[in-house]
Amino acid sequence: MNTPDEEQGCAGCQAKATPKWRQDFPVEWEGDHYVTRREMVKFLTLGSLLLASANWATVVASRLLHRGSHAERFIGSASALEKAGSVLFRYPTDADPCIAVRTPEGKLVAYSQVCTHLSCAVVYDKAENGLFCPCHHGLFNLTGQPIAGPPTRPLSRVQLEQRGDQLFAVGMEAL
Amino acid sequence: MSLRRQGTTLFSAMLAFVGAAVVLQLWLLTVSVEALLSGAYKTLIPAAAGSSTLLLINAGLLRYVFRFDRDAHGE
Repeated sequence: MNTPDEEQGCAGCQAKATPKWRQDFPVEWEGDHYVTRREMVKFLTLGSLLLASANWATVVASRLLHRGSHAERFIGSASALEKAGSVLFRYPTDADPCIAVRTPEGKLVAYSQVCTHLSCAVVYDKAENGLFCPCHHGLFNLTGQPIAGPPTRPLSRVQLEQRGDQLFAVGMEAL
Repeated sequence: MSLRRQGTTLFSAMLAFVGAAVVLQLWLLTVSVEALLSGAYKTLIPAAAGSSTLLLINAGLLRYVFRFDRDAHGE
């Protein structure tokens, strides 16, 4: 004997009777396309979550790297800087080489010595009145801006303080 | 047109949108890592905020997928 649903030709009854696991493993192509595309959207959203987390991880990493950069450090004497034209020092950690220069106008400036192109060490070039990278002939002016060669980003600036004859690095400026 | 067939079309469009958003997030991540390594920290927070916005849009679309799926199962 037929049930009332079968007599009325109920289209949804078959789907309602089918268990969920079976709906996720369909036999027909139409159902398969539905499931694979739905799963792909889920997978991509999970990837999106991971990428956003990784982006925030870079923010956290920058805070951790930047944390010690406000510590004060003695870098040398002003008289030695006048004599040599530039002074090399390390700041904020021993793994971060920097260079301090007295500009022709008498201003004291200091930058990270790491070239923003491929991380070679820049040196003071008195003739060019800038910081020169010998690896690929990059040149930065004494405001830290790239003016020649392959570098496109400015050098990180170190904040200095002069107390008598002594020079101190007191912080890094975020670019 | 059955709800499932509509869903297939709808999910194809969503796939294209979510895929583009994920590629954009991947680009934002490469920019962030490059900025982190070069010490350009000011770039990081806008990049992370942009990536989070794209994640929220994707999560909203996924929520719609779940609701649509629930309706399709009950069809």
